[in-house]
Amino acid sequence: MTTSRKHDAGGLPGDFAIWIFIFAELLVFGVFFLAYAFSRANNVELFNESQLHLNRIAGAANTVVLLTSSYFVVRAVAAIRADNARRCGHWLLSAIGMGSVFLVIKMFEFGEKFSAGISLSTNTFFMFYLSLTFFHFMHVILGIVILAAVLLKARSGGYSAANHTGVETGASYWHMVDLVWLILFPLVYVIH
Amino acid sequence: MTKTPLIRPCTLVWLILLALTGLTWFIGESGITGMAIVGFVLATTLFKSQMVVDYFMGLKHVRAAWRGLLFGYLLLVCGMIGVAYYISLT
Repeated sequence: MTTSRKHDAGGLPGDFAIWIFIFAELLVFGVFFLAYAFSRANNVELFNESQLHLNRIAGAANTVVLLTSSYFVVRAVAAIRADNARRCGHWLLSAIGMGSVFLVIKMFEFGEKFSAGISLSTNTFFMFYLSLTFFHFMHVILGIVILAAVLLKARSGGYSAANHTGVETGASYWHMVDLVWLILFPLVYVIH
Repeated sequence: MTKTPLIRPCTLVWLILLALTGLTWFIGESGITGMAIVGFVLATTLFKSQMVVDYFMGLKHVRAAWRGLLFGYLLLVCGMIGVAYYISLT
């Protein structure tokens, strides 16, 4: 379980700068979610009919994949707190692997839609679906790059039980990516 | 002597999150809908998100204002999605 070290900013884990970034990202996603929800309120039939074309199994599978990768990151933080950099690296690599699985499933979904002739201009629902999920997709890529940088430093002995702010910083960003998907999945794939 | 828990707390949280995800998926697949169902889905989403904030992000024991800020955000977003759904029914 992640129990944060006490930093100057009231105990937030990792570098405080990442939390400014996380709050800004959550604000942007929040506005995007509400824009979707209120657009749906004005186009219920169109949204419900279009939603039938989504692959809900892929959406649920990606939720499982992201939750699992977040769990692996929690284990990586616990490992470095126990001064086990090698194990931390293994958990981080596993988390990156799950993040990559997310990208593959999502690309499969995008491929399905594009081959069916669906694009941003198909209708309002698909404009939101494609832009929201692609925006999140880019955040997953950034999260993987951050975790990979943390992994490299962990493997070269750059972190220890006494000094692992970088691991917590990367972990916090990755959990934010997971958190956003936890709202996106029911909003776009389930609620009708 | 410290008693070792049967299951790590973070593992238990992960399993609960997976189970709730399965439930959400099942609701979507079953086709059942309505304000009560959507309210339940949103409450489940709020609960899952707060679990990630508390136990994965590790904000359970940080200054209450930070935790409150994130809970407020989640409550506002899930609540407004519920309001938008209610409007769509009227």
